[in-house]
Amino acid sequence: MSSVAAHYALLSKRSLVNTIRQPIAIIPSLMFPLIFLALNSAALAESINLPGFPAVDSFLQFMIATTIIQGGLFGSIAAGADMATDIEGGFFDRLIATPVSRTSILVGRVAGAFTLAFFQAFLFFGIAMLFGLTVDGGFLGMLGVALISATAGAGFASFSVAIGIKSGSAEVVQGSFPLIFTLMFLSSAFFPRTLMSGWFQDAATINPLSHMIESARSLVISGWDVAEFLYGLSIAAGLLVIGIVISLLALRARLADKA
Amino acid sequence: MSALNVTWGITARSLMLIPRFPSTFFPSLIMPLFFLVAFAGAFSAFVDLPGFPADSMLDWVLPMSTLQGCAFAGITTGMAVARDLENGFFDRFIMSPAPRGALLAGPLLASVLRAMFPLVLLPVVGIAAGVNFHEGVFTVIPLAIAGLGIALVAGMWAVGLALRARSQQAAPLMQMALFLSFFLSTAQMPLHLLTGWVHAIARFNPMTNILELARQGFLGDITWATTWPGLVSLAGMAAVLGIFAARGLRKIVP
Repeated sequence: MSSVAAHYALLSKRSLVNTIRQPIAIIPSLMFPLIFLALNSAALAESINLPGFPAVDSFLQFMIATTIIQGGLFGSIAAGADMATDIEGGFFDRLIATPVSRTSILVGRVAGAFTLAFFQAFLFFGIAMLFGLTVDGGFLGMLGVALISATAGAGFASFSVAIGIKSGSAEVVQGSFPLIFTLMFLSSAFFPRTLMSGWFQDAATINPLSHMIESARSLVISGWDVAEFLYGLSIAAGLLVIGIVISLLALRARLADKA
Repeated sequence: MSALNVTWGITARSLMLIPRFPSTFFPSLIMPLFFLVAFAGAFSAFVDLPGFPADSMLDWVLPMSTLQGCAFAGITTGMAVARDLENGFFDRFIMSPAPRGALLAGPLLASVLRAMFPLVLLPVVGIAAGVNFHEGVFTVIPLAIAGLGIALVAGMWAVGLALRARSQQAAPLMQMALFLSFFLSTAQMPLHLLTGWVHAIARFNPMTNILELARQGFLGDITWATTWPGLVSLAGMAAVLGIFAARGLRKIVP
């Protein structure tokens, strides 16, 4: 393994271990989406009978893709918060004093978020299946949802890391949590776009989260479709590329300040 | 120093903290507005469900959002008490000859007064958005009773928890209980459209009666039959959570 590849692998592993060792940091990304899923599946069960609602077995089937992506996005906050903690605690300064590849500092964090979101998706699928979830896309569909969620989680993690690098404050990074919450609500995460109206429908239509969630959802409720998967994945990948560029700029600015 | 003077002094201090720490107060204004927009927008098609009791989702959501704002007012007061406990300011209260009951009554009165902000803001937004006020100006009377009551019981819960935890880290627990009490009731759907375990809990959740009390003027006539269960539920919650808060204070001031 080349030294650069080793830096990437080591820092990714450190990021993942760092997150797993702090259960308190994982709880929001695990518990909140599951609570939303449990509440909405029972409370909104009757709404699937509305004319125009997509053909689904249950609200649980409609909602599971949202829950998985929501878990990925909530988990992404930890990447930025941990980066800020490294800056606050001085570890970041020690890291840049070494000949470690600069981009591996970022990629390590983002890869950690990707891995966590990927495995979390299967955990959520498993829990939902205990309550009667069926996935029309089968294992391939579940893999597709997990990849879209993990890429979206990595994308949001890169934005979160950029905030962490820029602010150097874990509190500021945590403050971005309501933003994710708002983006989720102003999308088709909780209800079909076709049953919305007016400006809210317009807002949900221009929100990339809607398209990503709808693609992932179709793999669950309509079966495997490579075009749908690639559509959802490309939006998530686009967010990831933009996020990486922004976090690289933030890193460059911080390194320039140190120079 | 009379108990009333001390209570008012502590209340006034709590209210003065609003401009000094606006970030701790804004959630009680921003969150209900956000819920109003998000729920009315995302779930606007609910009104087409058979038996849904509202003509517009705004009529259904506005009272719920207002009560959430009022409850947040109580929670933020509890968080202010937790901050006082954390930084030692509350110790000065304890060492003073202030009547002990006033140490509780002050923050609770502040909760109720803070709730006036969402109680005024949300109906004004509702008028601008075209919400139906079936009983004219009287529509807001049950809403105000429910809102002030919820602010009081949420304050009792949050202050009681703050007195036990003595740390602002109790804030997520304060908020989570509030969140669950609303969403395990008829916050989103009327009782007859709820199913399974949520229906079973919502039937006995006092918040269901309190929401019906607040909503009645927005959905139709105001009646005693819809009013009294809400009042009884508020009284019951106030009795239980009042004891919870008083015992919390007794743990600090035996």
